[in-house]
Amino acid sequence: MPAIETRALERTFAGGIRAVAGVDLQVAEGEIYGFLGPNGAGKTTTVRMLTTLLRPTGGSAAVAGHDVVREAARVRRAIGVALQEAALDPLMTGRELLRLQATLHGIPRGEGRRRADALLERVGLTGATDRRIGTYSGGMRRRLDLAAALVHEPRVLFLDEPTTGLDPVSRKAIWEEVAELNAEGTTVFLTTQYLEEADRLAYRVGIIDQGRIVAEGTPASLKVEVGKPHLELELAGDGAERASAVCSRFGRPLPARDGKVLVELAGGARDVPKVVRALDEAGILIASLELVQPTLDDVFVAKTGHHLEGAEQGQGAEEELTAEPAA
Amino acid sequence: MASRALRAELAVVGALVRRAANEILRVPGAAIPGVLAPSIFFLGLTAVFGHLTQLRGFDTQSYQSFLIPVSLIQGAGFTGAATGVNLARDIEQGWFDRLLVAPVPRPVLLAGLVLSASARALVPAAFLLAVGFAIGVHWPGAAGLAIAIALVMVMGAVAALWGVALALRFRSQSAAPLMQAGMFLLVLTTTAYAPLELLRGWLHDVARVNPATQVLEAARQGFTGGVSWGDTWPGLVAAAAMAAAFAALALRGMRRTGL
Amino acid sequence: MIAALRANARVVAALGARSVKQTFRRPQLMAPIIVFPSLLLAVQVGGAGSAVDLPGFPRVHGFLDFMLAGAMIQSTLLAGNSGGIALAVDIEMGFADRLLVAPISRFAIVLGRLAGTAALGVFAALWYVAVGLVFGARIEEGVPGVLVVVALVSLSAVAFGGLGAAVALRTGRASVVQGLFPLVFVILFLSSAFFPANLMLEPAASVARYNPLSFVVEGVRDPIISALGAHALAKAAAGLAIVGAASFALSALALRHRLRTGGA
Repeated sequence: MPAIETRALERTFAGGIRAVAGVDLQVAEGEIYGFLGPNGAGKTTTVRMLTTLLRPTGGSAAVAGHDVVREAARVRRAIGVALQEAALDPLMTGRELLRLQATLHGIPRGEGRRRADALLERVGLTGATDRRIGTYSGGMRRRLDLAAALVHEPRVLFLDEPTTGLDPVSRKAIWEEVAELNAEGTTVFLTTQYLEEADRLAYRVGIIDQGRIVAEGTPASLKVEVGKPHLELELAGDGAERASAVCSRFGRPLPARDGKVLVELAGGARDVPKVVRALDEAGILIASLELVQPTLDDVFVAKTGHHLEGAEQGQGAEEELTAEPAA
Repeated sequence: MASRALRAELAVVGALVRRAANEILRVPGAAIPGVLAPSIFFLGLTAVFGHLTQLRGFDTQSYQSFLIPVSLIQGAGFTGAATGVNLARDIEQGWFDRLLVAPVPRPVLLAGLVLSASARALVPAAFLLAVGFAIGVHWPGAAGLAIAIALVMVMGAVAALWGVALALRFRSQSAAPLMQAGMFLLVLTTTAYAPLELLRGWLHDVARVNPATQVLEAARQGFTGGVSWGDTWPGLVAAAAMAAAFAALALRGMRRTGL
Repeated sequence: MIAALRANARVVAALGARSVKQTFRRPQLMAPIIVFPSLLLAVQVGGAGSAVDLPGFPRVHGFLDFMLAGAMIQSTLLAGNSGGIALAVDIEMGFADRLLVAPISRFAIVLGRLAGTAALGVFAALWYVAVGLVFGARIEEGVPGVLVVVALVSLSAVAFGGLGAAVALRTGRASVVQGLFPLVFVILFLSSAFFPANLMLEPAASVARYNPLSFVVEGVRDPIISALGAHALAKAAAGLAIVGAASFALSALALRHRLRTGGA
């Protein structure tokens, strides 16, 4: 029996917005399934439907063998959830939150306390258990959120963008924890916008764009499907259009990114010297040149025509002096 | 060189005032309670305590005329306290640090905050006067009205200075109740509900020495009778003294934030 | 079935305990319950205290004795508003999702909040009784009177708290619930919370005579200033029933609406 199964799952919001437009997927028990897609693709909406927070407007879904609409209570007993906006109360302490979570799942007091303490130790928060959550860093909050999702030892764990906004060290810590949980038998459904995360953790990846799954498979098989490496050129002057025209003789041009010219190489790596010579003959000056093996982003581009991660870079928050006050 | 610095300072003050105005325009719903509250209290307290005028000691039969200066000053108090709350929020969210980094003298920054509060106090006041006249408040005459408005603006500044001082001291929005309670107490431990002779117990003693009583009585003159200089100057002096005292408090608070 | 009830009761108690802790940990939530009504009480007693000399004013030991009930009810109305704000904050910051994903009754989210408000109501009632006694008031009906007062006050906290919760659930925004703050005072002024209805100015006096809140206030006031009468108690119960029914219906509807349209 699959741990998670959906059939033509759909969610339309008021105003006709189809956030999820017919998703079919199956996640086997003990798997880690990565749901990969850009912001607004429908990942969070799908997760909310699978975790009974939102009713589907079409299709069906079953988690741990129970229908999410008709047997919602049973689903809730079997799942652990760590959502994107870590649902924490800044005025509570870490320990209080975990104990409350235990109570919410009907775990007897003594047992609940024991588990809370054990989990706090497991996620490395023993130093901060009696401090208010408002004083925790972002990484600490995510770890607490993860601990809270585990209090009742769920069979299926949903993680919605678990490492978004975290520093690399915290990110690694979460990845290790997830891998360990999976080794213990927990099925993990993970949504992410980070290639590396999906690549590393997931057995299988589903790529979602505009509410539909556009590709599904193991990371390796997806990349092989796309197959060919591509070249990234940074030019020393102008001539991007001419460069693109020249390159298109050697393969399919790809959408530009960060001001670089990209081209898929039909003949593989051995075409690199030919490209260089052709550009040189055309008088185009190159500042740098990189040969990149296929990534999940390439898969994404192949399936949807745009990049997954281009817009994420350079997203530093630079507020101006006249920034709007946060209401 | 000097004029460039001055223009920079004015620009910052202007930005501050504009931002305060933006807040009201951007979330108009949030401003409504502040504007409506004094009027609601005015109407409610009139309806509830209106018959007190039957007691001997009241020199007017119109409780609404007796009460309206209280509500006017309360409105100024709310507006000023709100300035303090907004500042506390800005400090909490880090926005204020950006302001402190700008090369503006602290008194100028303070002036910007306080003057805008003073001006904003006119909004609930105008609303209140409209409501008051509609339910029969006596026309105070031009002089009486002018005195009342002037005192409202000064009290708005006083309340803002109090709010700012607390915001700087506590750097957190949880100080909001203290800001509001402070002004609340200042305005109500006076001859707010009844003339001095009719006040009971501790309130009688406090009201006698509270400078806000002078301010209130000066503002009340036109509404309950005639205006005279003798009844006006104590109020002006008291208001000015409070403004000076709270300004010193606020400036000390600014200096203590390390700059 | 019994086990399920017991489990839910445990959850409601835990959520109620959290509500109470929250209120004590955040001065902005506590101030409207204790600080402001106490200040207002002090000032009104000193300022309008001569009212006892008005012809038609009920016979009381002191104006303070008369005003205690109003302070208590004011406090519970504001506690209900505070509770609504806290619930809206829970929704805004996603904490409500944590509760919705748990295998608990959907209504436990509201009941937990109301349990907390009821506990605060008890606390408030005892506070004002203590304050009253310290400043010379007399509870005419003695200890049984205090019990009745505490019971009525905490029930009214639940009844009015439900209205705040309904607005919180329907709008999901703390600023909207906060904006209801003046409305609380409108309702209080249009009742006999601060003054006998027959001595108020029209048209407020007429509204106050039929306002269910007046019935509740008088039910709380009678044991303090005179004796507990079955008539007054019945009227108070009726007032609570009316408000309670409205608040239950509205919060149930609001909860259903929220669950149906769900978060994004």
